[in-house]
Amino acid sequence: MGWTLHLGSAVLLALLQGIVQAATPDWSGVWAMQGGTVFDLATQTGKGGSTTPGVREHPPYTPAYEAKYLANMALRDKGILPDPNSFCGIPTGFPRILNLPDVYEFAVTPQQVWIIAENGPNVLRIYTDGRAHPAPADRWPTHTGDSVGHWEGDTLVFDTVSLHSSENGRTLVDRTGLMLSEAAHVVSRMHLKAAGLMEVQMTIDDQQALSAPWVVTKQFKQQDKGARVYDYACNENNRNPVDPKTGWTYTIGPDGRIIDQSATKQ
Amino acid sequence: MKLFRSSLLAAYAWLLMTTPVLAHHSDAMFDHEQVRELSGTVKEFQFTNPHTWVQLSVKDANGKVVEWSLEWGSPNQLGRQGIRPSTFAAGTVVTIRANPMRDGTPGGAFIGARFADGTTVGRWD
Repeated sequence: MGWTLHLGSAVLLALLQGIVQAATPDWSGVWAMQGGTVFDLATQTGKGGSTTPGVREHPPYTPAYEAKYLANMALRDKGILPDPNSFCGIPTGFPRILNLPDVYEFAVTPQQVWIIAENGPNVLRIYTDGRAHPAPADRWPTHTGDSVGHWEGDTLVFDTVSLHSSENGRTLVDRTGLMLSEAAHVVSRMHLKAAGLMEVQMTIDDQQALSAPWVVTKQFKQQDKGARVYDYACNENNRNPVDPKTGWTYTIGPDGRIIDQSATKQ
Repeated sequence: MKLFRSSLLAAYAWLLMTTPVLAHHSDAMFDHEQVRELSGTVKEFQFTNPHTWVQLSVKDANGKVVEWSLEWGSPNQLGRQGIRPSTFAAGTVVTIRANPMRDGTPGGAFIGARFADGTTVGRWD
């Protein structure tokens, strides 16, 4: 009798797990972000990539943050914006984790979704087990913040808070010099827009940096079946270390010595 | 001097064709409006993160061998495109096009390469 009950419970549990797993979509495979590393392509002005002088985006910044962005872009135009992403070893952080070259994996489980970026490598953990954010007194700013989410059909909706400010030089949103404050709060909606095309729409609210919500969309294209993801290892043979103080990018020769002649002027 | 040909090959067209592939740092040290063609012998192909490097021995105008450091994409990106650590075997004679460093340092951003048998890798139009 007892064994029968146990067996019945086990079968029921397995069935329930199957239902939960069946409720989550299959986002397996390898994916690549589309459109280069300008974060907000929809508002980009100027031709080129995020390192190209003159290229900028147009978030609904407050005057104070517009001034900060202009100052960063002036450094970027000279090639000396100290970008923490170039320091090797510091997490890229959110939302920039959705703005990286190389490739991605989207691992869906009933309890969590992991957005795994080869570049870095970086991981965004989104808890979908029903938990809420920790109470404000029990959380602190980090690069990637705290993300909790739920499913609305095949759309993953997640909410991200507790992000580092760009003020202290710890993080940037992209290499044009985009910034957000610790007040940033992002609601993201992620779904398959079409076969092989993932879309994430982020609505960014930041009462210090923005005068209105800023909506940014990123898309990711599924790569050929069999594509593999590799180690990134930024410090393996980093022959372009960046000085965090000056933003100067050095070039190292094969013997480990600085070879760029202009470096002596720094 | 053929081996050390420095050329402004239709600068604007090249600018459009030579989108930087270096993602992890500023590329301001490279002059993307210039293309330098270098013929020499591969000393080493560093198939490493975060970027790959072709070390190329090139004779200068005085016959002195100068080692050039030519930076390319990440091994991950290139590996998915069919490039392998063996693509540039040591001792191979090859011609490489690169955006040179602005300050005259023997280095550059790799664009493409043409081997003695006519095969090419990267962008070689």
